[in-house]
Amino acid sequence: MKNMTLYVDKDSFIHNIDPLTKLLFVFLSIALTYILPTHLFVICVLAFTLLLLLAGKVFKYILPVIGVSLLLIISIIIVQGFFHPDRATLLFEIGPLPIYKEGFAFALLLTLRIINMVCAFGVLILTTKPDDLVESLINKGMSPKIGYVFLSVLQIIPQMIAMTSKITDAQRARGMETEGNLLTRIKSFIPLLGPVVLNSLNDTRERSIALEIRGFNAKGTKTFLNESFHFKYGLILKIILIITLIAAIVWRVVL
Amino acid sequence: MKKNSMWSLNFTTAALVLIPAAIGINYLGKLFAGLLKLPLWLDSIGTVLASMLAGPIIGAIAGIVNNIIYGFTADPISFVYAITSAVIGLVVGIMAYKGWIVNVGKALVLGLVVGLIAATVSTPLNIMFWGGQTGNVWGDALFATMMAQDMPLWFASFADSIVVDVPDKMATVLISFLLFKGLPKNLTHMYDNRSKIERL
Repeated sequence: MKNMTLYVDKDSFIHNIDPLTKLLFVFLSIALTYILPTHLFVICVLAFTLLLLLAGKVFKYILPVIGVSLLLIISIIIVQGFFHPDRATLLFEIGPLPIYKEGFAFALLLTLRIINMVCAFGVLILTTKPDDLVESLINKGMSPKIGYVFLSVLQIIPQMIAMTSKITDAQRARGMETEGNLLTRIKSFIPLLGPVVLNSLNDTRERSIALEIRGFNAKGTKTFLNESFHFKYGLILKIILIITLIAAIVWRVVL
Repeated sequence: MKKNSMWSLNFTTAALVLIPAAIGINYLGKLFAGLLKLPLWLDSIGTVLASMLAGPIIGAIAGIVNNIIYGFTADPISFVYAITSAVIGLVVGIMAYKGWIVNVGKALVLGLVVGLIAATVSTPLNIMFWGGQTGNVWGDALFATMMAQDMPLWFASFADSIVVDVPDKMATVLISFLLFKGLPKNLTHMYDNRSKIERL
């Protein structure tokens, strides 16, 4: 069964940092590129984020994730390069098409921000087990029920995907066409999705009975299966991150 | 019989367990749309269905959790649109409660409203994060044409979102409505926290 998450199991300094600190870093890293919107500064933030990915030994795993956003990035470069509202200075021409300096500079800034956003999330996603993140959030006061919702999604989706291949085969055996013109393909959407929906909703009934039997709605404090939180440097890193944020805001306001 | 408000935070376990199932349905909707090469995403059927079944709050939570999980498993960009998903869940939940899912005509109106609201919520996000684009080829081509004619940025960006969102959300709501109507009653009552017919 395909593993749902992008988590890469390695042993590094970054893997051992508290998940909440990494979460704070993600928001800080994105916020910084908007608080100080100069190319040089954004490049510095991006370089730092990439450095963390290298330190976490997960650099090569971020490339396919950036690839998913490639269409958006290409679209931004083309559209902003050609059509930015303040187009004035001609940078260069590709055949008959002029690329303007203002638009290109803006597109470059946006692209750097997007890559930084994806990489910053990558630091969290690639080096943090979802269970650890949810457990830390519950420890900080998130409802355990919401925590259950998050983690059970990761179990349910592979089950449902396994179910769909059965249903697709069964419906094909009954003569459903999945290829052909648009109308044929639209018509086969409901016979494919319908049984999966009914099946998975039926499963929720059993699942909720099973949960209630095991005390899902029980009042009283919940305890953890793994009591020890083995993460290091949480507090000091959080303080550094918050000081950086305040410094950036002060810099923006003063200068 | 005392009726709870649709804003009640007192969820049944079945309604909570509905959320992961809804996210699975979202995922499969997208998968099937890709498999059948349909020109739409159809990636919020589960959210819409959850709102119809269990009300706006469950729908909104399903929307947010969906985008967070999708961000974690495939594409971090989807974190940005968590708020759009939440609003879709809220709008469908409220309008379903007010009786907008009784026939196909009303369901199409609901789809149109959801599409317009989704576009309205997405536009500021698109402008803030990517200078007004959506990453969809057709929408961005329209955006580029409108920008070339020096139309205001927000208007071009809104048109970009509308072209992408309205047909998609109308199809999504219509499909969810058809699925919803096909579900057996003893299943649909299970999630409903408004009336105390069958409680686990």
